[in-house]
Amino acid sequence: MRIVIGQGSCGIAAGAEKVRKALLKTSVDPDKISITGCIGMCYLEPIVDIYDDDNNLTRLVKVSENDAEAIAQFVENGDRSAVEKLIVSDEDSEFLTKQTRIALRNCGIINPDEIDAYINADGYTALKKALGMTPEEVIDIIKVSGLAGRGGAGFPTWFKWNAARQSAGEEKYLICNADEGDPGAFMDRAVIESDPHNLIEGMLIGAYAIGAKHAVVYVRAEYPLAIKRLKNAIAQAKEKGIIGENIFGSDFSCDFMIKAGAGAFVCGEETALIESLEGHRGMPRLKPPFPAQSGFWRKPSNINNVETFANVGWIINNGGEAFAAMGTENSKGTKVFAVTGKVKRSGLVEIPMGKTLRDVIFDIGGGMKTDKPFKAVQMGGPSGGCIPADLIDTVIDYKALGATGAIMGSGGMVVMDESTCMVGMAKFFLDFTAKESCGKCIHCRIGTKRMLEMLDRITKGEGKEGDIELLEELCYSIKDGALCGLGQTAPNPVLTTIKYFRDEYEAHIKEKKCPAGECSDLIEYKIIADKCRGCTLCARNCPVGAISGTVKNPHVINTEKCIKCGKCYTSCKFGAIVKE
Amino acid sequence: MENKSVDLTLLDGVLEEYASVKGSLITILQNTQDIYGYLPKEAIELISEKTGIATSEIMGVGTFYTQFRFEPVGKYLIMLCQGTACHVNSSELILQTIKDELGIEDGQTTADGLFSLKCVACLGCCSLSPVMMINEDTYGSLTPDKTKKILKELREAAQ
Amino acid sequence: MINLTINGKAVQAPEGSTILEAARLNDIYIPTLCYDEAVEVYGACGLCVVEAEGIPKLLRSCSAKCSEGMVINTESERVVQSRKVAMELLMSAHDGDCVAPCQLNCPARTDCQGYVGLIANGEYDAAIKLIKNKIPLPASIGRVCPHPCEKACRRKNVEEPINIAQLKAFAADMDLKSDNYIPEVMASTGKKVAVIGGGPAGLTAAYYLTIMGHSVTVYDMMEKMGGMLRYGIPQYRLPKEVLDKEIAIIEKTGVKLVNNVKLGKDFTIKSLKEENDAVIVAVGAWKSSSMRTPGEELEGVYGGIDFLRGVIKGNAPEIGEKVAICGGGNTAMDACRTAVRLGAKEVYVVYRRTRAEMPADELEIEEAEEEGVIYKFLTNPLSFNGEDGKVKSITLQVMELGEPDASGRRRPVPVEGKTEEIAVDSVILAIGQKLVQGDVSELKLNERGNIEADPDFFTTDLEGVFAIGDATNRGASIAIEAIGEADRCAKAVDAYLSGKALDTRVPYISKRDESSIDYSDRKKQSRVTPKVLPADVRNKNFDEVSLGFTEDEAKEEASRCLECGCREYYKCKLLNVAQLYDINPERFKGEMPQKYSRDENAFIERNTSKCILCGLCVRSCREVMDLHSIGLLGRGFKTDISPAFNLPLDQTNCTNCGLCVSLCPTGALTEKSVLDKQVPLNEEYSEETVEIDGQQASVLVSRYNGKVLRVIPNDELSRSMKLSREELLELVK
Repeated sequence: MRIVIGQGSCGIAAGAEKVRKALLKTSVDPDKISITGCIGMCYLEPIVDIYDDDNNLTRLVKVSENDAEAIAQFVENGDRSAVEKLIVSDEDSEFLTKQTRIALRNCGIINPDEIDAYINADGYTALKKALGMTPEEVIDIIKVSGLAGRGGAGFPTWFKWNAARQSAGEEKYLICNADEGDPGAFMDRAVIESDPHNLIEGMLIGAYAIGAKHAVVYVRAEYPLAIKRLKNAIAQAKEKGIIGENIFGSDFSCDFMIKAGAGAFVCGEETALIESLEGHRGMPRLKPPFPAQSGFWRKPSNINNVETFANVGWIINNGGEAFAAMGTENSKGTKVFAVTGKVKRSGLVEIPMGKTLRDVIFDIGGGMKTDKPFKAVQMGGPSGGCIPADLIDTVIDYKALGATGAIMGSGGMVVMDESTCMVGMAKFFLDFTAKESCGKCIHCRIGTKRMLEMLDRITKGEGKEGDIELLEELCYSIKDGALCGLGQTAPNPVLTTIKYFRDEYEAHIKEKKCPAGECSDLIEYKIIADKCRGCTLCARNCPVGAISGTVKNPHVINTEKCIKCGKCYTSCKFGAIVKE
Repeated sequence: MENKSVDLTLLDGVLEEYASVKGSLITILQNTQDIYGYLPKEAIELISEKTGIATSEIMGVGTFYTQFRFEPVGKYLIMLCQGTACHVNSSELILQTIKDELGIEDGQTTADGLFSLKCVACLGCCSLSPVMMINEDTYGSLTPDKTKKILKELREAAQ
Repeated sequence: MINLTINGKAVQAPEGSTILEAARLNDIYIPTLCYDEAVEVYGACGLCVVEAEGIPKLLRSCSAKCSEGMVINTESERVVQSRKVAMELLMSAHDGDCVAPCQLNCPARTDCQGYVGLIANGEYDAAIKLIKNKIPLPASIGRVCPHPCEKACRRKNVEEPINIAQLKAFAADMDLKSDNYIPEVMASTGKKVAVIGGGPAGLTAAYYLTIMGHSVTVYDMMEKMGGMLRYGIPQYRLPKEVLDKEIAIIEKTGVKLVNNVKLGKDFTIKSLKEENDAVIVAVGAWKSSSMRTPGEELEGVYGGIDFLRGVIKGNAPEIGEKVAICGGGNTAMDACRTAVRLGAKEVYVVYRRTRAEMPADELEIEEAEEEGVIYKFLTNPLSFNGEDGKVKSITLQVMELGEPDASGRRRPVPVEGKTEEIAVDSVILAIGQKLVQGDVSELKLNERGNIEADPDFFTTDLEGVFAIGDATNRGASIAIEAIGEADRCAKAVDAYLSGKALDTRVPYISKRDESSIDYSDRKKQSRVTPKVLPADVRNKNFDEVSLGFTEDEAKEEASRCLECGCREYYKCKLLNVAQLYDINPERFKGEMPQKYSRDENAFIERNTSKCILCGLCVRSCREVMDLHSIGLLGRGFKTDISPAFNLPLDQTNCTNCGLCVSLCPTGALTEKSVLDKQVPLNEEYSEETVEIDGQQASVLVSRYNGKVLRVIPNDELSRSMKLSREELLELVK
């Protein structure tokens, strides 16, 4: 028997490290306790997997440090009774069994801190195989696979590799974009934290294909654990001669470097990322020239994101055709999504392209977590858009998703119910892009700010006739005029919400009402006298003394004084306070 | 806050390793902030001297990235996640709770030097939203009450 | 060479050229704000976008390379829309005034800040030339104008507005005392123009048309020219000798003046039109308005301007000892103070509102009071009562102030049943004046009974006949209004005579939001007013009350100017581009990115609230000079450009090479001129070769009115020398 504790960032935040420490204090042999990365069932963290000697798995979920003794009993005596309540349900197990994992194939299974664990899982065999081919042959396999950039744009990977390969010059760079900045997306973090060698292997294959002797990973600073595990993995790979000179005895040499970002979403844009790598402000460069011709230190460079590289090893081992066999005509293979928000089962979902949003949100995600109905799903973060309930059967495919006005994006999928205001959602994203705009070009620097100001006015009930049209005009101008992808896609959250929820905008502007009841300036809190027990809790929680009443008698809110903070609403135990 | 003199010898190791490696400015600044908790003016001037990068460029880089600070922070740096999932799960209420409890706005430090509040980009723990990080520790599934309790415990721990 | 098509024209460009380079090579204009050959392409402004056939995205022409057979459109609808929105966004975040509010509020658009600034520098000669671009009678106007400029002057928010009108009179008096400035007159066009009426409007139109090379004759019914300035303004306010001198200068410029001829008697509009290529009707409004109060027909009740004209012409009417003047405007002030000077013992001013609402100039109100005038506020004549056909008393209705009316002033309403009676020997009605309609019966009149003239082109219903001033449209107004019309009319007539189209669109300019301006950092410095004759001396004669500014007083007063208008106005690239598109930045009005602030050293002034973040200064300082004195700070909307740690420029390694200033497309960075007080002037720039240490170097020299104002290094050598301003000026001496 051995105990494996899921220790991705989510798991640790949920208490996995406390569980591990508690287990170490039990009588269980410490050598039998190890860790793995993110299993992806984030809603069940902390998760403890127990493998018997035949490698049969018993998965315990929502474990706390107080369960350590019971787990020890189970491991040492086989006494299931004490852990019975922790064993994952069949229903929850389906969250994983319904997935097809390629990029995440080792996540939550192997120990990310040990290279041997990766090697035992057929790790680095693809690299060995690739080094036996010509770079052109490698590129050809990737071409056959139909692998496209998983960072959001969906550009064919082989094409970029080929362009960089064709580019003149001895000095070339292979760069991995791990600046996963979309709020609501954490696929890349999970890959690096859980299977860093898979990334390294994919990158080395890419470096070999384009003829680069230098590989660089740009990781966002908010992912300290990912950086730590990747550093460790690089050191181990160097030790084994997998990184360095004459890898596996071939002519191919490649060094590896990690650079930590410092907090700038725009650095996910490839030219801004290069500027940042060079130690500058992350302001996008003009294209042309493209990085394939002139990138890092003005040398030919190729940039792919983490998930893209995470697929490469599998493709080399299994063949391009096997990968291309999954998916739709123009979207091949699988895609990882970070499903979050008001969904019952949130976590990482990898499924073949061609499945529908319904498959992800309802079949795998289990539907809504509250009793409020599904309203929309936000895909692609600040560059993407909101897809409404009636398009739930949209197929996961670059083209089909693009047609809705949203994008495939890097994989963030935030599920919303009727309590989410769509104007507020658009404002949320514009607030994000306005803060993250580098400030270089006019359209993005001032345009996103002005859009935010307009949306802010609308949510405050100060919108006026013509605002929607003005917003649309500004959106199209920004899409056309902004310098980089950040600005060009910044209007998408506004355009899609106007497209699908125009009535909600109109309600804010014309009737000064927020149908979702979220915009505090447009709602009123009231106490339903029949339901109020006169417990005085709301009055005590009110920061401005707007609630009056005597004990055991219904209370009243003075709407003149009320600042609409919502504290009474959340504190009431009897559902006597309503928003209108 | 008192302006204590900055011990620049602490930077020797960092500068020795990186000063002559091109493209290392961000790395140097990250290391500097790890040492002092922020980027002191004196340190920036020394970095400029050793790397040959003008102070105007260093300030340009330092002020571009949200990670860097130019003022010392409190004992506990609260980083409240502003991600989408947190937004959808009412992180606004948590922000308001922290502001009310500590009497500070985003980017400020309490008068006793105990807490600093910073709203940050998505921390990537979306399944636990709303989330905050205080120093190295992540706190998830926050409610106003839970947040108050955490702050209270930290304040007591510090005394 | 590459062959491509731009805007339907087949052009060629060398291999490797960008679209922008190809367009410029072929004289096709593409606007840019962040581009300059001296530095690497940047792509920030996005104004250089063009559309290329077969490419879905707009291309930034500064970086996109030409390829064989490319078909480019630099002015497509999509391109224009993109540039328009870019400019609207940019201007919505550009916190600056192109032109000072004083100038904008002057009906004649006189460059007040310009001449006030020149006076502060002792450049009186340049000041009068600048004034005379807009006003040919500045000594007179400076004395009588109710100065709307001063109402807009922002110095009032510190303590009191600049004494702009008196400064104008000062500069004009200086000119009258020395060699008079006579403008250069253009070559004769051979066209003849007749002007009917020699008041401020007629004389102004005649003056500017003469300068444009036309042959102009002014016909006037009175003995002398000047119109209302002569016959409506008392001597103590505008000595007729001053007016005479100014008219003499107009005559010297080439205007022919004919007096004692009357429209309708000696000639008609049509008869003049037959002899001339164009006619301008500027006959004024010479009839006093009636109050429609019972008893107006009584003997001893006079019209305000009739009374004043009588006094000026030497046949003052009998007014007796007790005189009541009805009205609260400047004519009422002129009438009451004239009555005092004629020896009246009790002079009343009857006004239905209070002192605060009086339209007359505050100084006039005060000075009249000093001279013994008695104000009867909140009273309104109910009837003029007579005996034997002669006025003996006035019954006054007592009033109180009610709700504000359309003008914003509180409306006076009668207090039921409350009246008052005052005994009088005469009454002067100073409540306005009207056109004598019979004079202009050849022209179409509007419902007010005034000549109907086009507000932009000043045309009437008769071909080639134009009309301006008090006789037109809304009726009588102030002299400067008529002068402004006359100036614009002169341009319209010139366009008519030469068959050119006249663009009357008002070009876009940037204006600061008045409510956003902070004055707390300004030191208070009291307004200087010229000394006046003591009240007990002046109330006995018609000597000019004001003694005028001394030179020291004038300079001190002029130096108070806050310099609102932008110094770069005349060469602002940003404004140039903004005016190319029909923009309305108001629709994107919102927060300004930077607080208005100034940082200056001896050479350079920085004003980050005007910065458009094109980055040319930062890039040139880095890429060309390798100095890095300034850099970008922060990001997004709040991005700022500043030296490190926000140090003043003086404390950086800036060598004052001036490169950043010369590249700045707007007024965020300005190079100071040699003048003590900085003034926005339409300077002439020329590139000149000078010798520095035995080597040939290029400098840019700016001159105004013949004076060298700045010398700016213009090549690598001159920039590298780090010369002081004195040394640079020495180079061109």
